[in-house]
Amino acid sequence: MGKPSKPPLIRLSNVSKAFGQVKALVDVSLDLHAGEVVGLLGDNGAGKSTLIKILSGNYHADEGSFEYQGRPVTINRPADAQALGIATVYQDLALVETRSVAHNIYLGREPRRFGYFMDRRKMERDANVMLEELNIRLASQKTDVELLSGGQRQAVALSRAIAMGGNILLLDEPTAALGVEQTQQVHHLITSMRRQDKAVVVITHDLSDILDITDRIAVLRQGKLWAYAPSSETTTNQIIGWITGVAPPHVRNGAGEVNKGSDR
Amino acid sequence: MISALKRQDNWTLIGLFITLLMLIALFSWQSEFFFTTRNFINIGQAISIRGLIAIGLTVVMIAGGLDLSMAAVAAVAGMVTASLITLEVNSVLVGVLGIAAAGVLGSFNALLIVKFRINPIIATLGTLLFYRGLAFVSTGGDNIVIGVNAWSELGRGSWLGAPITVWLFLAVVVLGMCFMRFTVAGNHLYAIGGNSEACRNVGIRVDRLRGWTYVAQACLAGLAGLMLTSQSGTALPSALNGAELDIIAAVLLGGIALSGGRGGLLGTLLGLLIIGVVQNGLILLQVQIYWQSVVRGAILIIAVTLDSLRRGGGYR
Repeated sequence: MGKPSKPPLIRLSNVSKAFGQVKALVDVSLDLHAGEVVGLLGDNGAGKSTLIKILSGNYHADEGSFEYQGRPVTINRPADAQALGIATVYQDLALVETRSVAHNIYLGREPRRFGYFMDRRKMERDANVMLEELNIRLASQKTDVELLSGGQRQAVALSRAIAMGGNILLLDEPTAALGVEQTQQVHHLITSMRRQDKAVVVITHDLSDILDITDRIAVLRQGKLWAYAPSSETTTNQIIGWITGVAPPHVRNGAGEVNKGSDR
Repeated sequence: MISALKRQDNWTLIGLFITLLMLIALFSWQSEFFFTTRNFINIGQAISIRGLIAIGLTVVMIAGGLDLSMAAVAAVAGMVTASLITLEVNSVLVGVLGIAAAGVLGSFNALLIVKFRINPIIATLGTLLFYRGLAFVSTGGDNIVIGVNAWSELGRGSWLGAPITVWLFLAVVVLGMCFMRFTVAGNHLYAIGGNSEACRNVGIRVDRLRGWTYVAQACLAGLAGLMLTSQSGTALPSALNGAELDIIAAVLLGGIALSGGRGGLLGTLLGLLIIGVVQNGLILLQVQIYWQSVVRGAILIIAVTLDSLRRGGGYR
């Protein structure tokens, strides 16, 4: 594990995307490793969402290539991304408020019986196991999501991403709407993802805890990868410098330099 | 059971059930003719044809849609079957073609709503006028009298003491309830009504499922049209004209939200029964016929107001 020779879970090479005249992403290359949390930062319009949408197959990259565990792959549609285990947890969470926790976790992948029938009992059992593994405490997995708190919803959304076979989890602003305690809960969740050997990308504006929960920091600026560095060698001031462009570009990409995390 | 009571939808059902019992008690006390087997069969007979359409509408609305054209679809299906019967087409084929014609109209609704992304209220308001017009144009406004034929049994026959229309209606209710609760597709329809974007994100075929709800709704309306025609021995282009509002009222009374994702067929059944009992009771009490609409409107308004208050306000 974590040996320099091991290929990254997913590698993006020279990915570019333009919307008409606007260059949303320019020549971005990035490696994501199993068991590693990457913080994806950048100002509004820097290209963070575009990058996530390309990885999740919702946008098609104009140029560039992808490798999954060393072999070339294409990501043209959301189904391609899903097949590679790439799962996105959106900012608005995309949960169905009027459905139970269990159904939300297995939405679109409900356990079936005789092909057409939903195996509700298995679904609820599996949901319980999943929530326990992630150390998430809810009154009941039968509760409708509309009765949950923001942190609990984030937990349900993450559980779904994992239930969908997610190995590469893209979290879009996971703590944006949360209070202090719920933010802590989500950070614990992210840490437990690392223990389960997932590759996690966290998009965030919140710089306060980002160095504590990530292994590496990627900063996008004007569509370019401006900085990519181990969190342990980075300070908050440096990040701000990169985001605003005051500091010069600083990209250290490649498996050799990865500081594979202890659980901080 | 306690966790079941926590679900808001179940409170709606309990409220409806108590209301129904109170209405039955009231009318039984006021009229000696009310609490009789004969009268309950009458009520069942009165609600079963519209009820079939209401069942289809419930499914459409759970998935977040709406269909105003369903009564017009029933009228067209009635005209088609009656024309075919007068042409002495094979009886089985008559039924198949009548319901298929309704299915085609439903597919057109689905096309407008799912493919061309037209708001379902507007799309089916358009097709309501269009289909109703077709029903009138087909004969220049005349009725088609078919008298007694192979299909008469469907509308007039009875089995084990109850009309076949009532048995058919109950069968569709039970099948529909099983479908919505136990199948993956039924659960997906609930989820689509709750948050269609979320369903798209996880790869559920939202448009296809939604499209099918309109087709299924139209086929049920077609069956209702067939039943109505065989019951009266006449196909009227004006059949069920204006009934769409009554049907929507029953569905809303039953706890289905306009926004979708909530409620169920049991609620619709209770909504239909309440409206059926009131209608029947007022007739037995010889209340002036115009009060019917006033009372039904009042019940709907009271029901949705209570529901909204309990939920802390639904419309924002």
